[in-house]
Amino acid sequence: MTHAAHRVLWTVVALLLVALGGVVLAQSLGWLPGGDPSGVLLGTGLRRSWELATPWAPLAAAAAGLLAATSGLWLLLRELGGAGVGRRGTLVHPGRRGRTRLAAGALTRALERDLTGDPRIRRARVVLTGDPHRPDLWLRVEIVAGARTVGLREHVNVALRRYVDTADCRPAHLDVTALVDAGQA
Amino acid sequence: MRTANRLATLLLAVVLLVGGVLLAVAAGAAAAGRPALLVDVAGWAAPLGETRWDDWPVRAAAIGAVLLGLGLLVAELRRWRPQRLDVGDGWHLHRRRLERRLTVAAASVPGVRRARVRIRGHGAQWRPRVVVTGDPASRDEVEFAVRQELHRLAAPRPGPIEVWLPSGRRAA
Repeated sequence: MTHAAHRVLWTVVALLLVALGGVVLAQSLGWLPGGDPSGVLLGTGLRRSWELATPWAPLAAAAAGLLAATSGLWLLLRELGGAGVGRRGTLVHPGRRGRTRLAAGALTRALERDLTGDPRIRRARVVLTGDPHRPDLWLRVEIVAGARTVGLREHVNVALRRYVDTADCRPAHLDVTALVDAGQA
Repeated sequence: MRTANRLATLLLAVVLLVGGVLLAVAAGAAAAGRPALLVDVAGWAAPLGETRWDDWPVRAAAIGAVLLGLGLLVAELRRWRPQRLDVGDGWHLHRRRLERRLTVAAASVPGVRRARVRIRGHGAQWRPRVVVTGDPASRDEVEFAVRQELHRLAAPRPGPIEVWLPSGRRAA
């Protein structure tokens, strides 16, 4: 999951908490019209309704439980499985009857090998998205301590030119994030 | 905050998964007219039949939920420190890694006992702020070392670099 998705999720959770807490507090203080603060949380009326609606009410509760468990499992898989599939990006070519989606794994691995040919780059990760002929290139390079990024930019540019010539494409957008090691300068 | 969000989401996922399974099993058993297998629903629901809306634990829980929700809202909606810094031509530097690298550069100056670098600003408008413990005479050398390191990383900063020597912690 992306950072933005996490922020949206927790903003929604926060709003739900405020709404739920606010309603319970209003009921507790007798601010809700028709509300009785001296009543119990689980009144006999509610219990009778539950018993009258059996087995449908428990079945609805079971369905809600399954829904919650499925949501939890989906969330867990999204969190733990983020490092695998999807990190390489997908190229999409629109056609007359739909779109052709192309996993960019093989292309990105070739560029990554080329980039790590320079000893100053310890690790490189490439993500390709967008149109196959005008792809967006997202690079993340880990630079060893003490390396000058001035020369490194030239190395990355040369590797990109080689890639562009081989893959016969022209990147529409280039985004490079460099992670420099601390080490001894 | 990003790590906290990730950990909290993992926790939420586990709670939803375990809670959902327990609820489904308990409700399924109730629908089939069988005794509860994992959770004693009747025992759990009995206190709710005796607790009133105006009891203090209910109010405390509601106030807690509102405060927690407001705290979360503020934490999520405020502007976060950027994860990376713009150095032009589509290149970015990872902020934390750069801070560590500049800290090492500042700490390597003779006379500096401890250094700490924090980057302020967003996008292309950022500047390092160096907090140094040590000889006050090393201020210019620290600034030079940080500037030199930024130059090596092809991220020169125009204008002065803020170097702060807390007076109470200066070396004798």
